[in-house]
Amino acid sequence: MSRRLNLSLGVCLAVWIVLAALAPAAHAQATPRAKALGARLKCVCGCNQVLTACNHVGCTTSHAMLKEMDDRVARGDSDDVVLQSFIQEYGQTVLVDPPKTGFTGLVWIMPIVAPLLALYLIWELVRRWRHKAVLAPAGGPAISADLIERARREADKEENE
Amino acid sequence: MDIFGSFALLLALLAAVYAFAAGIAGILTRRALLTKSARNAGMAVFGLVTLAVASLEYFFFTDNFSLAYVSEHSNRALPLYYKFSALWAGQEGSLLFWTWLLSIYAFSALFLNRKKHPELMPYVGVTLAAVQIFFLTLNNFVVSPFHVLGGMDASGAMHVARLSEGSGLNPLLQYYEMVIHPPILYLGYTGFTVPFAFAMAALLGRYPGEKWIHITRRWTMVAWCFQTVGILLGAHWAYAVLGWGGYWAWDPVENAALLPWITGTAFLHSVMMQEKRGMMRVWNVWLVFVTFMLCILGTSLTRSGVVSSVHAFAESSIGGWFFTFLGITFLVCLAAWFKNRDYLRSDNQLDSLVSRESSFLFNNLILLAACFAVLWGTLFPVLSEAVTGNKISVGPPFFNKVNVPIALFLLFLTGVGPLLAWRKTSYDALRRNFAWPLVGGVVAGAVGFAFGFRQFYPVICLILSVFVTLTIAAEFYRGARVISARDGTNLLTAVGELTMRNTRRYGGYVVHFGMVLIFIGITGSAFNQDIQKEMAIGQSIQIGPYTILCQNFDQPSTDNYTSDRATLEVLRNGKSEMMLYPEHRVYIASQVPETMVAVESTPLRDLYVVYAGTSPETGKPVIHAYLNPLVKWIWFGGIVVVLGTGLALFPDRRATLVLRPATEKSWGDAISQGASGTPATSPVASAPIRRSGADD
Repeated sequence: MSRRLNLSLGVCLAVWIVLAALAPAAHAQATPRAKALGARLKCVCGCNQVLTACNHVGCTTSHAMLKEMDDRVARGDSDDVVLQSFIQEYGQTVLVDPPKTGFTGLVWIMPIVAPLLALYLIWELVRRWRHKAVLAPAGGPAISADLIERARREADKEENE
Repeated sequence: MDIFGSFALLLALLAAVYAFAAGIAGILTRRALLTKSARNAGMAVFGLVTLAVASLEYFFFTDNFSLAYVSEHSNRALPLYYKFSALWAGQEGSLLFWTWLLSIYAFSALFLNRKKHPELMPYVGVTLAAVQIFFLTLNNFVVSPFHVLGGMDASGAMHVARLSEGSGLNPLLQYYEMVIHPPILYLGYTGFTVPFAFAMAALLGRYPGEKWIHITRRWTMVAWCFQTVGILLGAHWAYAVLGWGGYWAWDPVENAALLPWITGTAFLHSVMMQEKRGMMRVWNVWLVFVTFMLCILGTSLTRSGVVSSVHAFAESSIGGWFFTFLGITFLVCLAAWFKNRDYLRSDNQLDSLVSRESSFLFNNLILLAACFAVLWGTLFPVLSEAVTGNKISVGPPFFNKVNVPIALFLLFLTGVGPLLAWRKTSYDALRRNFAWPLVGGVVAGAVGFAFGFRQFYPVICLILSVFVTLTIAAEFYRGARVISARDGTNLLTAVGELTMRNTRRYGGYVVHFGMVLIFIGITGSAFNQDIQKEMAIGQSIQIGPYTILCQNFDQPSTDNYTSDRATLEVLRNGKSEMMLYPEHRVYIASQVPETMVAVESTPLRDLYVVYAGTSPETGKPVIHAYLNPLVKWIWFGGIVVVLGTGLALFPDRRATLVLRPATEKSWGDAISQGASGTPATSPVASAPIRRSGADD
């Protein structure tokens, strides 16, 4: 009986150890500033999520990054220094927003330039259409007087309704 | 059975190749027998792929782990419905599933039109067969789901390895929505192949008039509806399963689904210009082409690993195949357009900037701008790496900053567009239609501001939502009042009568209203709150009006998983409101952990609680609670969109009235009677005349 009890306890202990090992580490941000800075970074575990939003199951990366963030903020580092330290450690890819300078500035510029260009093209197209419409001689299929009279009656009827 | 499935797939490929080749031969030689034979081969593909799918499902249901695909994505303890959905859990199966859905669409299109459009259908059949050949090639030779485990033994004989247990299904997919989300999204993706095939057919065959637009309208709406529901189900799945408190993260895979939806939406609007005024022919053809190509691009992004994503379950090296197919498709589209561009000349021009046509133009411009912004942001990391060698990220803040103003402008057009007249709208009509909705919107904005709405975009969204809702309500009211006065019915009955007379128009309004609800729900995210805390039994956290008290922690388990679970009591004003049980599971077969979120959802707000894990320092469980306002409106808005689309697909009552006599005589007789002065009360006479004016 005691052997079975020991075996059961052993199994329970083993399960507990496995669960503890697999349980995701979670870290609550210490200050609102750390939280705001964390929102400008991405978790580098591959989940593609904002660092403070990442509770990607089993993710150990975000825990370490968030703790590092708390430590740096507690140390009194400025925002720039904190972000630069993360860039140095993990590369540009750690920033959620790409920089607005250099080649990466294009990512910000193009969504504005492209619709404006499209708007200009549409404007040009409309201008040409209207120009053509003015130049085009009056014409079109002949409409009988009966049909016009009938359309008028229908329109009057709908108006009265 | 594995040989059976493989053989069925191979035969399906041969049938598709025959349908393609015989179809082209039929078109060139104009031999009806050849064309018919090609069509039958095209339909046979469906039967053969169905056999392959049934064969693979048989392996799942019988726990036969001799197939690599089955052993990787199933296990004995997996519930039956997940064994069914395991079909699309990985690369090979999901591509087979894709092919199957495509074959269903192809079969339906060929079968339903087998006695119609003889000039058009051979081209449709060839186009559908070409797309099927691509996917069946992948299924047969690149990512076959029928790969048998085993190999050669010492004597050189082949043997099959039979594993006693599989690795299990990805835990992220073990959620009831995953049984329906992928099929519905795939039905959207694959559904756009049909309008693509008809557009290509009309262009290649120089099919006269706007007939192809009429034929494909329902197909496009069905695909669009599936895509909408698929996207919303995916968002709901992300919300309920991924456990990060949100429903949309601008992940590349999410964006991939959104792109064809956007261009599909643009197409559904711009076709009306072609139907009514014979305008935008080139534009419409290219919108369909681009929508189809974005479907293929979306599929390749999901599977190729070109962009990193938490959703991309099935990364592999098949990206090259997809990009080659995409390139060929683009070249074919370009060549078809170039050769037949004279056929696409517009009949009419724009008469005024204040008109329905111009609103559609702007609508399309804005939708395309949104599409470009999403595509650009999604692919820019790849471009940046290729040009500068540096990896960068483009995250949610970029997409939000760029797309929120675009979306709000679209919302504005949703209210304005339908109320503008074709050709030109007078100042009086503008004032009559928009004055009160505008006043209502501004008043709502002022009230919102007084009640603490201080952020710019939420206030604008509130104003526009009320404005659009009032314009829609006014449209129903104006029409119903006329019917009510004429027939002496009450206003509600008159609304029903009005709607059934022009389901397309009023169904469209219902869809617009659904979109308004979705916008309101999304606006709620501006007011999200969250708190994360290590909690011991007896401790509590406060979020909004709720106090969350930790009652217990336990470890329930099943054959499929073990679990850490928190028992939390939610109190409001000191009164117990509900119990929540967020969990952290570990699936036994795969040893993969998974979060089970506890959500209490009300129309006003969601209380969303996650068992986030344990603190390594203290060993205490960490609870992350979110208060997300108005999320339910998004899901409800989605239901309204589906109902509106269903309504728009429903035949008009007027059309039904026309059809009856028209079946006895010819269409030509019916129309000539209508034009020759038959009394307007006659269904035959009145319907065709009214139809042309109100079918928008």
